[in-house]
Amino acid sequence: MDKLLLSNIRNARKLLHENYITPKDLLNSCLTQAKDTNHLNAYITLTEDEGNKQAKQSLERYQKKEATSKLDGIPIAIKDNFCTANIKTTCASKMLENFVPTYNATVYEKLLNAGAVLVGKTNLDQFAMGSGTIDSIYDSTKNAWGYTEDDYYIAGGSSGGSAVAVATGSCFAALGSDTGGSTRNPASYCGVVGLKPTYGLVSRLGLIPLVNSMDVPGILTRTVDDCVLILNTIAGHDPKDSTTLTKPYKEILLPSSGKLSVKGLKIGIPKEYHCKNLDKEVLDTWNDVAKLLDENGAVVKEISMVNTEHSIVCYSILNQCEVASNMARYDGIEFGLRADENSSTEKLYATSRSHGFNEVVRNRILTGNYFLLTKNYEKYFNQALKVRRLISNDFYKAWEDVQVLLTPTTLSTAPKYKDFVKKTNRDQCAMQDFCTQPANMAGVPAISIPIKLSKKGLPISLQIMGRNLSEPMILALAKYIENIVKFPGVK
Amino acid sequence: MYWIHLIKRNIVYSNRQYSKQVSNKWKSVVGLEVHAQISSNSKLFSGSSNEFASPVNNNVSLFDCSIPGTLPVLNKKCVEAGIKTAIALNCKVSPVSMFDRKHYFYADIPAGYQITQQRAPLALEGNLEFQVFTPGIHKKPYTVNAKIKQIQLEQDSGKSLHEDDRSLVDLNRAGAPLMELVFDPDLSDGEEAAALIKELVIILQRIGTCSCKMEEGALRVDANISIHKPGEPLGVRTEVKNIGSIRGVAGAIKYEIKRQIKVLESGGRIVNETRAWEATSKTTLPMRDKEQQQDYRYMPEPNLPPLHVAIGPIKNGCVNVDEIEKQIPELPSGTRTRLIDDFGLQLQQSIILVNNPILLNMFEEAVKGSTNYQLLANLLINELLTIVNKNNMDLENILVDGKTFSEIASLINDNQINKNTAKLIINEVITGDLKSPAEIIEKNNWIQISDVAQIEKICTNILNENKDIVEQYKKGKTKVFNSLMGKVANNSKQMINMALVPEIMKKLLSKM
Amino acid sequence: MNYISRSIVRLYCTKPRVILNRKYLVPKYPAQSTIDARKLPERTKIDANTIALLERLSLVDCANRQSIETLEEAIAFADQILQVNTEGVEPLVTVLEDRPLVVREDEVTEGNRRAEVLLNASVVEDEYFVAPPGNIPLEARENLLHEEEKCN
Repeated sequence: MDKLLLSNIRNARKLLHENYITPKDLLNSCLTQAKDTNHLNAYITLTEDEGNKQAKQSLERYQKKEATSKLDGIPIAIKDNFCTANIKTTCASKMLENFVPTYNATVYEKLLNAGAVLVGKTNLDQFAMGSGTIDSIYDSTKNAWGYTEDDYYIAGGSSGGSAVAVATGSCFAALGSDTGGSTRNPASYCGVVGLKPTYGLVSRLGLIPLVNSMDVPGILTRTVDDCVLILNTIAGHDPKDSTTLTKPYKEILLPSSGKLSVKGLKIGIPKEYHCKNLDKEVLDTWNDVAKLLDENGAVVKEISMVNTEHSIVCYSILNQCEVASNMARYDGIEFGLRADENSSTEKLYATSRSHGFNEVVRNRILTGNYFLLTKNYEKYFNQALKVRRLISNDFYKAWEDVQVLLTPTTLSTAPKYKDFVKKTNRDQCAMQDFCTQPANMAGVPAISIPIKLSKKGLPISLQIMGRNLSEPMILALAKYIENIVKFPGVK
Repeated sequence: MYWIHLIKRNIVYSNRQYSKQVSNKWKSVVGLEVHAQISSNSKLFSGSSNEFASPVNNNVSLFDCSIPGTLPVLNKKCVEAGIKTAIALNCKVSPVSMFDRKHYFYADIPAGYQITQQRAPLALEGNLEFQVFTPGIHKKPYTVNAKIKQIQLEQDSGKSLHEDDRSLVDLNRAGAPLMELVFDPDLSDGEEAAALIKELVIILQRIGTCSCKMEEGALRVDANISIHKPGEPLGVRTEVKNIGSIRGVAGAIKYEIKRQIKVLESGGRIVNETRAWEATSKTTLPMRDKEQQQDYRYMPEPNLPPLHVAIGPIKNGCVNVDEIEKQIPELPSGTRTRLIDDFGLQLQQSIILVNNPILLNMFEEAVKGSTNYQLLANLLINELLTIVNKNNMDLENILVDGKTFSEIASLINDNQINKNTAKLIINEVITGDLKSPAEIIEKNNWIQISDVAQIEKICTNILNENKDIVEQYKKGKTKVFNSLMGKVANNSKQMINMALVPEIMKKLLSKM
Repeated sequence: MNYISRSIVRLYCTKPRVILNRKYLVPKYPAQSTIDARKLPERTKIDANTIALLERLSLVDCANRQSIETLEEAIAFADQILQVNTEGVEPLVTVLEDRPLVVREDEVTEGNRRAEVLLNASVVEDEYFVAPPGNIPLEARENLLHEEEKCN
């Protein structure tokens, strides 16, 4: 069963189709695995009842030999900032600890319609603010790699729970969210595939927002092919989300890896992505893969994206401002934590919010409101918007020369928890998100793929970025590399 | 730059009558902000119903109560309504406009912010030209041209019922579509403001973008008022809210101007504050200052990309401005011009008719059956309106149509009845008598006496009964002739055709 | 994607070659930062009025020394952005700025789900949401920078 749990969706589906295993058994194996790996704390909620109900319906479809999609009966996990009807959705916060949405996020709805089965809701940094999955009221998520009880490595964040769930085989795919790297970062540390689609390709309805102008639902899987299957299911225009593209989505069909070639592919290496804190091993891996592609016919050239280093500061300003705005709705009146305070509306709000939000969230709100003050608007917020355009323009300029970009995903392998918590949330984000943030600024698609293990046995990953809507190209390149490097999964 | 403003103001003033309401020592400046609820089926950014007076919290979608993860989707009808209104008010429609968030905490704003248009509103720089004429206050009408700074689309808030120890919040109205019309401070008193609102109401009702039922809160007027001495800079202004009727607009502004004069003349200072109009006491009172030190921290709404509207033959946009322009019917100014040009009415009459859509409707119907336009106008304005007002009735409730009036006009033209009888007929029909005027005069025997022999008989009787007046007349006091006329009229209960009487009376007198 | 279709016919060996050599295709050394630390403005100190205002605007009950310091740090960090030359550059609010906003038809498609709407509210009375009376400004504190951590 272990082997099945760590295999890909196509295999699992084949077995379901040929009735070697029922959806219920498959789900239960996943649930068992989730419980066995409970010490890693990937899940906030295991949805046994709901999952079993869905598995039963899937079985009926298989038995009736009804047309079933490629995902029918496949267990998946969803990050706990996506609304799932009748299943509590907490964002790892006291504020939403008892919040039960009455509607489904569009991406979840689409997966349900395709027959997928929900294993559970995964852990995250509170309200997706963080890059370690350590700021959660449900305690931190631990990396499966190099785990020891008293000295573990972080899973990365903020979609750490989803990454660990996929890496350990308690689901076949998981949804995360990506605002500054929150899907790619944990993918990199946990050694799984993490895709950030083009902004506007996938609906955000039901995704509790962090930064509306940059948030995208992310996909975490063990293989690129699995990633394509999930993307094909969830992508497309949603009339309920005014920020989705109206152009009809065309399903991606990747050829088998044997048929892929990189001959003539123009690959850019942006020199600014070698920043001060880049780990030597990561740098060497970057170089190795660049050379690999070069040997096989790609045209690899160094380019310059001068505004890359400003992305961190720009992101921190825009993020904090949007947070201050998006969090204004949490007052305890219509939903959420409500303090026992009746003297005035403002007092009630202040008390509920100070109890419901952790320090990271509260500080971001305070700072964001400072930047949004009328007197500061031009100086910080509007300036950041202008710098955002400069960063975006860097990408446009790059596409004049090359077709894709190859960069590291994170500056190092997964840090130890003990070391990680020595720095503040903001400092950590600043470092960890260096290579992933710019893609969110410009809205371009980006994918993180695991390449090899470091000397200490931790995953090292690289990132591929392409122009808007170039998912077919970056996924194909990712598959090509995946096939060569043959990254080992978690044992 | 306020010098140029002052010069402009003086030019405007020289064309205006000074209002009797403001003392000559002080100049008052009034600027209005109008919130008009768009009469669409659903709300601005969600699909819940926009209907008034529904069960509590029934017209609320998940987006309206700001459930996390929900997103706004713009209602096309609201864009069309905004553009239609902008065109009718001579504004420039922006080809690209944007939405912003205006942040403040209040229990009836669930999201903690209102979505509005601050940076780049739907339309800019328009104007509304209207007539100011309140019978009884103004001797004759005069024109005012009020400039409009901008028109923007924005969300309405929910409603709170304030109890002693808690507020009950109903979000039915939260997210309802509003157009905010911001006028420049071009007005000088309450009557001008009332006239502006009156004109605006007629326009909005004609183009169908707002019901303008102020009692339902569909149209809300806030007034910014300041006073200053001529030649000096503009004074500190106060904002007056909570005005629930057009007469309330006039009353509130009149009171506030008086109050500010009183304060300044007694050595006090005007504070920049928000005041509420209390219709029962007819005063303005300071509102609990909910703004204190407020910073709305406007921020672009990230969930709504820019709104493109197509102008001219361009196709890129969700609505086409030119198509909408074609849908605009005749506006009040056009109607007034038409009444004057086509029907020879006076400006005053055209103003009153246009201001009373029901009356106007009757007039338009009546002219189909009679060409005595002046007479029809008089019957409607001077007779009907007077009777209706005297009896505290509502024009909406009376069951008369224009045809009736054209019949009355015909009867007068044919000398079957006189103006006095017309009044009696009108009294009958508005109290529910369904008979035609001809039938009524038949039934009541109100046909005017035009038979010469009969008139002679009546006149002879009068002369016989008033020998003393006859004596006086014979002695040369010709003025007493009028009293004889009066007696004839009274005696016949106004049923006699007075046009024929003088000649007959004179003949009789000469025989005596 | 032309390179994929072209690759269907491969003339030479099917296995990709992996040869190690000393060629450096990635930048050997870190890129230099263009931010001049010396030119950064003096660290902004937050005064009592601003703290009071921010607290009223944020309502997170966070006017303690720790939070103010974090705020000042964040501002100092953000000050780096002032050194970027953005003359003539338009702000980028959304990457979808060139695409026209999609609108929907004026039909009633939502609402009429009062039970759902009230479901997650802690306090409800006769179908109303319940809030405390009015908006009463937070009490002014005597010492706005009180030492103990008020936030949990």
